[in-house]
Amino acid sequence: MQQGGKIVGNSLMTAENLSKFYQMGEVTVKALKEASFQLYEGELVVVLGPSGSGKSTLLNIIGGMDRPTGGKLFYRGKPLHQAGDKELTLYRRHQVGFVFQFYNLMPNLTALENINLSVQIASDPLSPTELLAKVGLADRADHFPSQLSGGEQQRVALARALAKNPKLLLCDEPTGALDYSTSIQVLELLKEACEAYAKTVVIITHNTAIAQMAHRVFYLKDGKLERIEENQTPLSPEKVTW
Amino acid sequence: MLLRKMLRDIFENKGAYLACLVIIAMGLMIFTSFASVVQSLNVSQHEFYENQNFADGFVQVAGIPPGAVAKLGDIEGIRDIQGRLVKDVTLWQPESPENIYLRLISVDPGEANPINGVLLSQGRPLQKSAREMWLDNQFFAAHNLSLNDQLEIIAAGRRQRLTVVGTGSSPEFVYALRSMADIYPDPETFGIGFVPWDTVQTIFPGTVSFNELVFTMKPGAEFETVREELERQLAPYGLISIIPREEQVSHQLLQMEIDGVESMSTAMPVMFLSIAAMILYITLKRLIEQQRGQIGILKADGYSNGEILRHYLSYALFIGLVGGIAGSLMGSLFAYPITGIYQDFFNLPAFTAVFSPFYFISGVILSVVFALLAGYQGAKKVLSLEPAEAMRPPAPIAGKRIFLEKFSILWRLLNTQGRMAVRNLTRNKGRSLFILFGIMICFAISSFTWSMNDIFQKMLYDQYEKVEVYDLKVTFSQPLKQESVLRELRSNEGVQRVEPMAEVPVTLKHQWHEQDVVIIGVLPDSKLYNILDSNYNRLEPPENGILLSERLAGLLNATVGTTLSLESPLKPDDRENTVVVAGIVPQYVGMNAYMEISSLQRAIKEPGLTTSAMVNMDRKAIPAFKEKYQAAGNIAAIEENGLRLSKMKELMDTYGSMIYLYALIGVIIGFAIIYSSSVITIAERERELASMMVLGMTPEEVLSVVTFEQWCIGIPALILGIPVAKGMMGSFGQLLNSDLLTMPTTLSSWAMFLAFAVTAASIWIAQRAAARKIRGFSLSEVLKSRE
Repeated sequence: MQQGGKIVGNSLMTAENLSKFYQMGEVTVKALKEASFQLYEGELVVVLGPSGSGKSTLLNIIGGMDRPTGGKLFYRGKPLHQAGDKELTLYRRHQVGFVFQFYNLMPNLTALENINLSVQIASDPLSPTELLAKVGLADRADHFPSQLSGGEQQRVALARALAKNPKLLLCDEPTGALDYSTSIQVLELLKEACEAYAKTVVIITHNTAIAQMAHRVFYLKDGKLERIEENQTPLSPEKVTW
Repeated sequence: MLLRKMLRDIFENKGAYLACLVIIAMGLMIFTSFASVVQSLNVSQHEFYENQNFADGFVQVAGIPPGAVAKLGDIEGIRDIQGRLVKDVTLWQPESPENIYLRLISVDPGEANPINGVLLSQGRPLQKSAREMWLDNQFFAAHNLSLNDQLEIIAAGRRQRLTVVGTGSSPEFVYALRSMADIYPDPETFGIGFVPWDTVQTIFPGTVSFNELVFTMKPGAEFETVREELERQLAPYGLISIIPREEQVSHQLLQMEIDGVESMSTAMPVMFLSIAAMILYITLKRLIEQQRGQIGILKADGYSNGEILRHYLSYALFIGLVGGIAGSLMGSLFAYPITGIYQDFFNLPAFTAVFSPFYFISGVILSVVFALLAGYQGAKKVLSLEPAEAMRPPAPIAGKRIFLEKFSILWRLLNTQGRMAVRNLTRNKGRSLFILFGIMICFAISSFTWSMNDIFQKMLYDQYEKVEVYDLKVTFSQPLKQESVLRELRSNEGVQRVEPMAEVPVTLKHQWHEQDVVIIGVLPDSKLYNILDSNYNRLEPPENGILLSERLAGLLNATVGTTLSLESPLKPDDRENTVVVAGIVPQYVGMNAYMEISSLQRAIKEPGLTTSAMVNMDRKAIPAFKEKYQAAGNIAAIEENGLRLSKMKELMDTYGSMIYLYALIGVIIGFAIIYSSSVITIAERERELASMMVLGMTPEEVLSVVTFEQWCIGIPALILGIPVAKGMMGSFGQLLNSDLLTMPTTLSSWAMFLAFAVTAASIWIAQRAAARKIRGFSLSEVLKSRE
């Protein structure tokens, strides 16, 4: 596939008419309506949409935390929509790294230990100390989360997600709780993960500015994937402003 | 509206609240039931003693003519003294497999104010010289008798008829034991018969003197001074013993039981309520942390601190009230069967179960107070929250290095999950201690109760399976000469072995210590009576010297080699003999000393004296043997060991069910603590645990962090439970030890194993509940929101 003048990889994930309905009392909430798309190896995708548009639902389904109510989802040709709990756990363990808005670090593990926690269950992990150096926290390895700033915590979370060496990095509002300059640092790291480590990175956000750094942008509204835009000239994060 | 919120919150966290509720209810149940039983026991004991003029002292003499008794009334401090004849007889009951004994007590129908007066339940007064008697209520009921039935007794070698004209109870036989070796009253085989004094004289022709005296004292009189004077004046009449009311068997056992129940009725509920309070405290504290945001909104809305605090206290109030009412109600109902059990054992006329509104209400108040205190401790934090602050998420929990990390070798052995678990232990020290305590209690109570079960069986069964291994014991009504009686008994068909036994009441003295005990004299190579050491090795009674039971040795402050002086009431005017302690042996039932029979006979200068014979014989020949001797004048009793043992086993079965009840209580406490704390732990760490699952850990791997943590507490707690259980046994032993029973305080390994298994199972079940919760996590839900 041709994108921004350079070749990106093969298809990693295929979604066909993906739907998710929640039963809330007597009301059926249609959180996601028949979304179809592909994700490719090594691309950076930004999913944009207002609150309640179904972004998180989509991310949860892609990340194997939730199952679709309808439609099909294939990861490298394997059906995920029919997968059992065990298969989903293994999928999350080996293929997916998550980064959340509120970091979700283990409060009583140090930065390095938090990364080790995910290294322990990975089959082909990256070096925790190298990763920590990469996110610029080599000197903070022995600090507990409560001793780190928000940006630092988020960089540890990112290192933790990368440490398993997953194919897919899913980020739910990764800069939502951070100030501007810290956000840019995190976005730079995400960009580097995508390029240097050849990860497929999916960022969901309602910050439209971030879309400027993406290869492709998914627009969600009312649970519908309205359109997918290709970005021929992705900006580097330091040029993104809001 | 807030009420509805409270009920829904409670329902949402029903596990922890339910555990709390159950424990409160159980504590209160024990409190109300036992407290009202104790109250009822105390009141009826006191009234009964008062109304029936219960004696302050009991004297046994060889014989004192009635005319000599009145003079004793002049002794300083004595209010009243009365004489009587007490004799055990057997009932003529050829069809009954076991002997039935009646203790005949002479009464003076003309006495206006009898000491130990019988409270007549039915029938009419006794008439002088008439061949009639009163029976104690229990015996009367156990044998389905009716008034005017005639009983045939064997006395003075003859069958004699007495008509039952009334039934009643005496303060002296509230707990009616035939002998110290009996342990529990058995109205099937033992009863009390009250017979007019002149009738007794016709039953036992030639009887002219009393063999017992009972006396009451003036207020403020000293028992010891009275005793000294009595000893002096009674010496010519063959004084055997003088004991105060405190040492009278029935009183002693009743008092011991009342004290025991009383201490249980306070200690147990306090323990239960404290545990429930702890669970409530933890649960509420957790709820308030979780509902920070809601509290902020309420405050922002204009709810006052007081209103919000009251709202959270209403949770505690609700639990305390429901638990308290349920427990007190159950306790009030439970008092009836408990009273029933005591009524079976204790013959206290006014003793009935009453619904006690006082204990019901004080139970509920107690429960509510405990709950509110716990609730306030848990909820007081809402007071200090500012609305704006409350709506912000709490500061992240500070991770810290812990002490163990200084030992880097140990620390490196742990993987990351392990380190997390270990650090978590110190994150909430109070809770870790609480879990430690819960597991410890669970283990200690269950191993203690099972050990008790083992020990009682050991104590009782050993006595009849390993120590006294004869088939029959023939007790003579007065000491007989050894040779002739053995020859006579051996001549019976089916008799395989006969051995003499001398049971001689003596006073042993060492320094200022003095004990009245029965010395048992047996053959050195006895095959029918084994004196055992603690490893069940047979000991031969020494040719010279005496073996003391451990408790007796302690009371006399004697060790091997100590010289004791020995005084026999059979030879009151004799000068004292001395005997050297040759060994100390364990003895659980009774408190005796042992000697080789011939050296005992020498010591009391009664060569050839024997008081009973032990017989081994063909089982089939037993009925004929018993029939032949039942009416013999010089035989007081024939006891069959097998029957005694099977009775004992029957009793132990009832007792066993009590043991299981206690064990169950232990397990419920332990389980409630472990369960509620692990449910809370999971709820508290929902986000953390969910994050691990998102990382790709399986629910099992996530659970293992929690379980590793629990085992880290659980295993030390189990180990700590051992000394706690031993301590419980020790203090229980102290409470129970008497001249009747000496309780060994070893924790049996089987009991420990069972307790270990039960405790581990409780932990495991609580972990299954945690596992279910973890599997039920909705990952996307948990992680989307802020805490």
